[in-house]
Amino acid sequence: MRTRLLIGGVGLVVGGFGAYLLLSRQDHDQLFSAAVWLASGVVLHDFVLAPLLLLLLALGGRAVPAAFRAPAVVGLVVLGTATVLAIPVLTGMGVRSDNPSLLNRNYTVGWLVLAGLVVLAVAVGGLVRRRKQLRT
Amino acid sequence: MSPVKLPAPPSDASFSSRLRSAAVAARVGMALGICFGIAFLTGLISHYAQNVSQPIPFPTSPSWGYRVTQGLHVTTGTACVPLLLVKLWTVYPKLFQRPPKGARKLLLEGLERASIGVLVASAIFQLASGLANVTEWYPWDFSFRPTHYAMAWIVIGSLVVHIAVKLPIIRGALTSDVDDTTYDRPSATKRGDLSRRGLLRATWVATGVAVLATAGNTVPFLRKISIFAPHSGEGPQDLPVTKSAVAAGVTSTALSAAYRLEIVHGDTTVTMSREQLLGMEQQTETLPIACVEGWSANGEWTGVRLRALLDLVDAPAGSDVFVTSLQEKGAFRHSTLQGNFVDDDRTTLALMLNGEPLAIDHGYPARIIAPDRPGVLQTKWVTKLEVLS
Repeated sequence: MRTRLLIGGVGLVVGGFGAYLLLSRQDHDQLFSAAVWLASGVVLHDFVLAPLLLLLLALGGRAVPAAFRAPAVVGLVVLGTATVLAIPVLTGMGVRSDNPSLLNRNYTVGWLVLAGLVVLAVAVGGLVRRRKQLRT
Repeated sequence: MSPVKLPAPPSDASFSSRLRSAAVAARVGMALGICFGIAFLTGLISHYAQNVSQPIPFPTSPSWGYRVTQGLHVTTGTACVPLLLVKLWTVYPKLFQRPPKGARKLLLEGLERASIGVLVASAIFQLASGLANVTEWYPWDFSFRPTHYAMAWIVIGSLVVHIAVKLPIIRGALTSDVDDTTYDRPSATKRGDLSRRGLLRATWVATGVAVLATAGNTVPFLRKISIFAPHSGEGPQDLPVTKSAVAAGVTSTALSAAYRLEIVHGDTTVTMSREQLLGMEQQTETLPIACVEGWSANGEWTGVRLRALLDLVDAPAGSDVFVTSLQEKGAFRHSTLQGNFVDDDRTTLALMLNGEPLAIDHGYPARIIAPDRPGVLQTKWVTKLEVLS
């Protein structure tokens, strides 16, 4: 218990230092913008992304044949997280006409290739499972 | 008319999958903690490297040091995205846990939840702001560097508090089998299509994909497969650009025949044209540009050794040098080159890149290139070097 209190105390000091840095170096408008970003991340995850996933899993559970479900979940983890990660490059909001070396790939094609590979892997995984199930 | 009955709001008992367990959360959390830890330490290095005042001189060797630390910073941050998403999924039912009875328990749980709220909010903030920043997308009013830096301390602080609170469960979960049910919620009993091991493997694969899809930004042999890298590695003279000459507003001044480099030390000023600089002894150095945005690439730079220019105004060894760009606005039109960088023989006022005169986007007529420095400090379109006393 003493160790835990000590670790917790260290955490409070470190976090408190961060809060001091955050609050002491910028004006009100900047802090407000940071607060909006802090809150929106949580709201978007907890009340948009997570419920959407629940819905998707509920629908998928009915639509996807049993042998394909486990591979489909793996595929969803890989493709879903990669898609969230790729939002800035896929939307290309940072593109600048004066800098052709920035965001200079075709990210949509890249995403489609990844999605195609994932679908292929899920299909192969599902077929293998189905064959195993038929054999037993 | 019978009253409309609303369905009961979800509670943690509504979630029945046994994948949402401390056993999975502790394992993914461990990987997440390591990645956040590496991103924090490499972030501190990058922050220090950009400080004007460096009580402990930032090393100039190895020349690729910053390239590695900043590459790791962005790569581990990227790896955190799938890890954090899976981690949050496994603990999502906790959000709907009913508050306990009794004032003391209520207070303790309230505090714990507050600390987790801070942790989740700041962790998402760091990943989201970092991911946007590497594509030079700034959809906010705050200043990126101080905010990302302050928030890093908040993430790590609340993470340490979280570890302290959960330590017995973490220890128990990590030392027993992943299918052990000791720490499971009573309702989490439903076997789904995927095992816990299966979910963990899927998470590691997703993390690997995230890294491979972006690391080509800084690891040359991954360029072809890094489908989500913000820079393909191509650019003028085979080198990407972060700030273009147009963005810096230097297109006419940089190409003007009136361009001169001023070297100032106290009352002594030496003025040189680009031709005169080309007439001095030239050196060629292979040094990386390692941008704070995470991309990096090697270039072969030819120009005048910086120290040779400072000898023209009798600058003493160890002097810091204040570098001014033709760029008229923006935080990076100035940089301070600390004495140890000034005196390093590899530090060059580059006039050529990869055998050609510098492209204007790379800093024509002249730019600073020093070993082991953040790219933002490798000032382009240099017009003045002032020796600081």
